[in-house]
Amino acid sequence: MEYSFEGFIREDGTVGIRNHIGIICSVVCSSVVAKEISDKVPGTVPFVHGNGCAQLGDDFKLTKNMLVGISSNPNLHSALLVGLGCETNQISGLLESIPDTKPVKGIGIQQMAGGENTIKKGVEIAEQWAREAAGQERQRMPLSSLTVGILTADLDEDSLFKMAPVIGEAVDRLVHNEANVIVGLSKTLEPAGGLLSERSAREEVKNRLRVMGEGLQRKRWKEISTEAPAYQGFSEKERSQAVLEAEITGTSPIKSLLGYSEIPAERGVYLITVPGNIVEALSNMASSGCNIVMIVSSRGVLTGSAALPCMTITPKNQDDYFDELVDFRVGEGEVSDQAEAVIADLLEICSGKQTSLEKLELGEFSIPHIGTTF
Amino acid sequence: MKTFEGYRRANGSIGVRNHVIVINTAGELAGLTKKMAQLVPGVIPVAHQAGKAQYPEDLEQTIRTLRGTAGHPNVSAALFLGMGEGDPAEEIVSALKKDGHHVHAITFQKGQSISVVLNEGKLWLEKAMERSRNEQKETADITELTIGLECGGSDAWSGITANPAIGVCSDAVVRDGGTSILAETTEAIGAEHILANRAVNPGVGEKFLKIVKDYEMRIRDTGEDIRSANPTPGNMAGGLTTLEEKSLGCIKKGGNSPLMEVVAYAQKPAEKGFIFMDTPGYDVESVAGLAAGGAQIVLFSTGKGSPTGSPIVPVIKIGTNPKLYEIMSEHIDVNAGKIIDGLNTIEEIGEEIYRKVMEAANGAPTAAEKHNNQEFAIWRLAETI
Repeated sequence: MEYSFEGFIREDGTVGIRNHIGIICSVVCSSVVAKEISDKVPGTVPFVHGNGCAQLGDDFKLTKNMLVGISSNPNLHSALLVGLGCETNQISGLLESIPDTKPVKGIGIQQMAGGENTIKKGVEIAEQWAREAAGQERQRMPLSSLTVGILTADLDEDSLFKMAPVIGEAVDRLVHNEANVIVGLSKTLEPAGGLLSERSAREEVKNRLRVMGEGLQRKRWKEISTEAPAYQGFSEKERSQAVLEAEITGTSPIKSLLGYSEIPAERGVYLITVPGNIVEALSNMASSGCNIVMIVSSRGVLTGSAALPCMTITPKNQDDYFDELVDFRVGEGEVSDQAEAVIADLLEICSGKQTSLEKLELGEFSIPHIGTTF
Repeated sequence: MKTFEGYRRANGSIGVRNHVIVINTAGELAGLTKKMAQLVPGVIPVAHQAGKAQYPEDLEQTIRTLRGTAGHPNVSAALFLGMGEGDPAEEIVSALKKDGHHVHAITFQKGQSISVVLNEGKLWLEKAMERSRNEQKETADITELTIGLECGGSDAWSGITANPAIGVCSDAVVRDGGTSILAETTEAIGAEHILANRAVNPGVGEKFLKIVKDYEMRIRDTGEDIRSANPTPGNMAGGLTTLEEKSLGCIKKGGNSPLMEVVAYAQKPAEKGFIFMDTPGYDVESVAGLAAGGAQIVLFSTGKGSPTGSPIVPVIKIGTNPKLYEIMSEHIDVNAGKIIDGLNTIEEIGEEIYRKVMEAANGAPTAAEKHNNQEFAIWRLAETI
């Protein structure tokens, strides 16, 4: 079967399934101004966060790269960067790093001599883009132009048992049709590292997954200087549940384990590092180029992503989920039929159908920390 | 004796504002927190991404900050939103209730209807707003006032104009029996000996030197040099050349009073007088810590022009140079640039700042409040798990 959807084509050939105008703050100090600009112009989405200054080394790079990634996400028609002026994360540095694929501009509060001027200027730019975006039409696109993220959240064994085979089959079909699939390597999936490592052809990826499967925990700063070992094994239950969760990655070879804001180099199935915070996990997926995320959960989650439609999938006949959040319920039928139905619903959302989280206007953005602020 | 009109809380503290807030304990609920606040005009959302997927020392700090924010004297009522089993919202709320605070927790459980929960929250908030409108002000003494001292977007004038003038105000508040908390451990690096010498006893001095040393070690242990991030690009454009230079200017905000106590981030001082709080140089996180530690008003000097405020405390902006005041007066409450122009002395600007503090304490909105600058972030110590 030939799968396709209707999306917005960008200048570099990537395809968006939404046509958002992103209003992105470079630092927490410009978050209120960015939010106000967005409030005044329909069609815009605010990307506000608490980072951007007094950061060092890798922690700072992560913040910068995530903002570059978000600005580059194909679901964004255009990106307006709003800065303060004196921050570590300079607008000029961001503008240099963002690939030239769409309208991108940067303004700063100090350069504009105050918040009021900045808001006025920002609204002017965003309104112009909103008019352009409204005139752009969706075009029929093949599945190969889509990048789908998968994030598990709060899954119990019973739910996994019902859903994993269906999601795994859907992933295989997506990959077979040359879509990209990026699966969040959650804390609960880590114990299956050994099993997943067998599906990678790259020695470096194999090793990293193997180490993860052994239960190596990251250290906290108190232990950095003392060199205290921080190994902690996984329980049998954690391991068996992880093996079940691994089924959602399907059966195709695992291309690589993506770092923060890393964009897949070729088509196929990828794993991506995600923190336990759902908003940060979704933000990371968005900055790695995902168009849409399937949230596989036994309850549904109370937040989506500012950049991406999030399709919530839960088991059917479960009475303890947030009913208003669910887009798709996995039931008892044939795995292949259900996988087909998942893809059909996914493609409808890609073509513009709103997800439950979009209808509730629940979409956030946040950047993880990998170090302290100063 | 200086006095002001404030809101007396059940635990005896006095607020200079009467805010009703909604605050989340899990990042997943940030969106719903903002949505909930929108349902009732006047309610302030305090949304953030801390609380889950954090190491123990971060979690502890997050909870201390949330408790301090909701239990702040400027807060009339606080609604907590929590998520699922084991969420700290109920525990924080029951501790605050014991202290007489008007607080409530809604913890989302699987299977609940979101619209029903939103409605429950709305009803509580409407009542809390009505309750806050009926609360009467009473006269309070300056000894019950705590100010926090902060600088952001510093330039070469900061240590010459605004910060020494803030120092004059800080000394005056302390002399009148109030409390003044200097913050930003980063910007004590290189100037720590000066403050340590002002410690009221050797114990306080040692504790102060220890937090500065720990701070620098923590940075060095991550393989980074603090001096590569501080001074920031903006500081350097403003004429600052080294962190030591920035620090020497920064600590001027603390005047010359003896250092009575050193407290942790978001910790309430036990002493009155001049206090130091261990916070990062990152303004918004530092101001959140000062507020959670009980400061009712924050003084904030800026050279480059930083508009940021706080969801719960009035932040008074003191501009360091005349050019800044000329172009960004909408964000500035006091123009310390007049010192450069020879129009006023440091002492006179210090007195002007003190007058602004009393005006703000009596309810006059600051520039940051007029522009709804309600930035909020909690100091992060370690990575997200």
